[in-house]
Amino acid sequence: MLILLTFFLLVLSAAAVTIIRLMQPEFRFAWLTAAIGALLAWISIFFWQLVAPLTLRLPAWKPETLFASTPTFMADGIAWAYGLALATLVLATLLTAVARAGFPQLLAWAGTFGLSAAGLLAVLANDPFTLILVWTALDFTELILQLRSLDEPQSNRQVVTAFAVHVAGTGVLMWASMVSLAGGTRMDFENVPSGAGVYMLLASGLRLGIFPLHLPFSAESGLRRGFGTSLRLVSAASSLVLLARIPAGSISSPLTPLLLALTALAALYGGWMWLTTNSDLNGRPYWLLGMGALAVASALRGNPVGSAAWGIALILAGTPLFLTSVQHSRLKKTLLAGAWGISALPFSPTASGWQSGTATGWGFWPFFIIAQSLLIAGYVRHALRPSKGSLQYQPIFVKSLYSAGIILPLLMLLLSGLWGWPGALRLGNWPASLIAVLLSGGLLWVWPRLKLPAPRVHWMRPSDPTRLNKLYQGLATLYAAIGSAVRAFSMLLEGDGGILWTLIFLIIFASILSTGGAAP
Amino acid sequence: MNAPLIWIGLPIALAIILSLISRPRLSARVGGILALALAALAWLVPIDDVLSIGAISIKITSVFQFLGRQLVLGASSRSILIVFYGLSGLWFLGAHAAGVSRRLVPAGMAITALLVGALAVKPFLYAALFIETAVLLSAPILIPPRQPAGRGVIRFVAYQTLAMPFILFAGWLLAGVETSPSDLILAKQSAALLGLGFAFLLAIFPLSTWMPMLAEDAPPYIFGFLQWILPTTSLIFGLGFIDRYAWLRQSDLLPQVLRMAGFLMLVTGGLWAAFEKRLERILAYTSITETGCALLALSLGADKTQIVFLLFIPRSFGLAVWTLGLSIVKDQVKSLDFAAIQGLARRYPLASGAILVAQFSASGVPLLAGFPPRYALWDALAQISPNMAFWFGLGLLGLFLSAIRSLTALVISEKLTYWQLQEDWPQRILLGIGIVVLFLLGLLPQMIYPLLNTFPLMFEHLGG
Repeated sequence: MLILLTFFLLVLSAAAVTIIRLMQPEFRFAWLTAAIGALLAWISIFFWQLVAPLTLRLPAWKPETLFASTPTFMADGIAWAYGLALATLVLATLLTAVARAGFPQLLAWAGTFGLSAAGLLAVLANDPFTLILVWTALDFTELILQLRSLDEPQSNRQVVTAFAVHVAGTGVLMWASMVSLAGGTRMDFENVPSGAGVYMLLASGLRLGIFPLHLPFSAESGLRRGFGTSLRLVSAASSLVLLARIPAGSISSPLTPLLLALTALAALYGGWMWLTTNSDLNGRPYWLLGMGALAVASALRGNPVGSAAWGIALILAGTPLFLTSVQHSRLKKTLLAGAWGISALPFSPTASGWQSGTATGWGFWPFFIIAQSLLIAGYVRHALRPSKGSLQYQPIFVKSLYSAGIILPLLMLLLSGLWGWPGALRLGNWPASLIAVLLSGGLLWVWPRLKLPAPRVHWMRPSDPTRLNKLYQGLATLYAAIGSAVRAFSMLLEGDGGILWTLIFLIIFASILSTGGAAP
Repeated sequence: MNAPLIWIGLPIALAIILSLISRPRLSARVGGILALALAALAWLVPIDDVLSIGAISIKITSVFQFLGRQLVLGASSRSILIVFYGLSGLWFLGAHAAGVSRRLVPAGMAITALLVGALAVKPFLYAALFIETAVLLSAPILIPPRQPAGRGVIRFVAYQTLAMPFILFAGWLLAGVETSPSDLILAKQSAALLGLGFAFLLAIFPLSTWMPMLAEDAPPYIFGFLQWILPTTSLIFGLGFIDRYAWLRQSDLLPQVLRMAGFLMLVTGGLWAAFEKRLERILAYTSITETGCALLALSLGADKTQIVFLLFIPRSFGLAVWTLGLSIVKDQVKSLDFAAIQGLARRYPLASGAILVAQFSASGVPLLAGFPPRYALWDALAQISPNMAFWFGLGLLGLFLSAIRSLTALVISEKLTYWQLQEDWPQRILLGIGIVVLFLLGLLPQMIYPLLNTFPLMFEHLGG
């Protein structure tokens, strides 16, 4: 049960905070209760290392003749690294909350705990079946929390679209299992037949917004710093973990070059927009897109550990940046440690990011290196950008807690480069990472000298319809046209002549059957 | 004491008494509790076995002679009795919240009894007559008071009635097949007639056109009740045929026909639902796909029959939750068109949530009641052929799209509205319980395993 200890601590904390909010909203120690819960959950993650790998099998679904899969969780090195990142995210959110406007936000904290608990189960999932269940739980939680937190009903369209895309990703993972079964293999993360791996990758890419290129996370709640950060990063982590489970040999497919091209496009787009947006929060969807694309690219190159490296860096480097809400010069400089985290230089957490398990896709390397340099440059730019608030007049304990909340994820980022999981302590492909770092240095030098207008980024919806939007509008028109045809056919069958049409169809089916026509 | 009298005769008498109760709330409560009591009795009391309580010994016999025919409810029928009366009881308890208790409860009790009778009668061909009586009894409750019958109701009664002569005639021919099994022409003729009869009875495409029409005409809750109990009975009746006639069971053509019908229903239902703009018609198309899934499960052979039974309970809960939500929403708007229901989720979050959860469940979204049977079915189809898995997935995709469109319509509106709970307390409780049960059945399908395990005992050769 140790494997679920962290989960239960998070759930209990969520329940405690919710009960306090409902029964005694003025309770003075609400934050302390939440912070203790987050701290215990964070500490409990380290206990996994003592007995790893841990496996927990839930009661089997019955009848067992129909359900061969059983929900199973396993805490191995990859799950530990992702679990640590998520627990750190929760603790950092709580620690930095003391300096945020609107303190205390009990329901937002409860949401953070709940989401992180679901995210933790996702990173622990030991097979696609379990992951499908956890993903759906996460999607429903996210849908309800977002619908509740958005006041304008029009904004809900984005939330529904994101939910639909996420569940579609789950559907693609289910399809991967079916493809595997049709080939005679019951799929788990150890046995992924060639061909099914591509669908797993598509499932993850769809949830991350890479295939097809879109921004599933563009809708934002009013609580953008704390709860918003948790929402986005937990959601991304739950999708990214699948990439780390795809065996290198299972993604060989004729589609691989096309997918690499699409991923490169997403990485470049995400990187460029991340660099050029006017604030870190507006750029957050592009951070997720760019880093997610690098993780997908690693998986496509047969390097699942590398994809986990990018995924963990996405969370641990993103957490302090997006939680920074007040001005503090020393902390700003400390944030630059996050840039080290995504540099892929030797012994950094992403050092394994540029390794390759296959010889596929060398031609795409320059694009991915450029994308990484854009992401690093953007990170440094956003880290050094002035913030609105100030810690100057805050009590000392607020300053200390807030600083701890920013420094903790950076420490964990550095730690994950050295210890605790299969991607730690690697030299990696240092020439590639060195080029990326030099390029980003060059970009940072050139950037202030260029007078480029900032792109128009709206956190709800792009102001101008892009070509991509036109493509989606075209698809919507096609959908409407098919809908009209279907409705016309339906009216025909339900109209006065419907019975005659029914008889005609019956005769057609009878003749098909009598001539030996078969079902699919 | 006699089992058919307790579970067929007594409920018919109770239905008459219930029709005399004028207070809707009381009618729903009494009807619900009585039906649940009948289910509990079936669960606790053995049939054809002596039950001793202190000095009193009771034996409930299984056979009742009626006009030269037999009604038999043996020990193997207990799971059917529990499911039929247990679920009917829950439907009746929700009837007041849906505003149809006086119409549904008495007639519903009689319909349940008649359909239990359909499964108990020997020779089993006479089941067709019981089903027909139940259909005729359901017609008046589908018509709104003081209004003429809509085209949907008329077509429903006509198509269901057309099934009877085909099935009875097929039964007459089947008797001939039994005496001369080598007569292949006679076997083919009887199979064709039987197929047509079941095509009408189960509303197999293109004979399903009455369903969306009826959904528009009838109160959603009553439509839902009938869409649960009638196809379920017809499917068990159909299983009886397959179980009884070895030549039918062993025919190479039967799985093909069932598969074709199943895919037609699933894919056309899914496609139609994906483009539909009215909530009650989406319900009808989804119901068509549910029957399609059951036919696909039947096509997989005796060892996968349990999937058919696995579909029954989620179908009932899904329909109950969905139609209760729909009834509440229908009272607030002029029509159930997407344009008319915009933003309603903000005022009726539980009713809207119930509709959506049931819709997602029917489209096989994980964690919900509809997922385990669909996953098992998809799994089994994929093992046969990837093409079948593809068509199955396509049907579910259509339903999922319809659910997403419903979600969009319910949560998006031009006007700024704050979240509020406008459902009354009984509605909140029932909807809340319903939604929780849909999640529980999706997460722990083994909960219904003890019931499922005993279903195949009704059949000699479909043990699974």
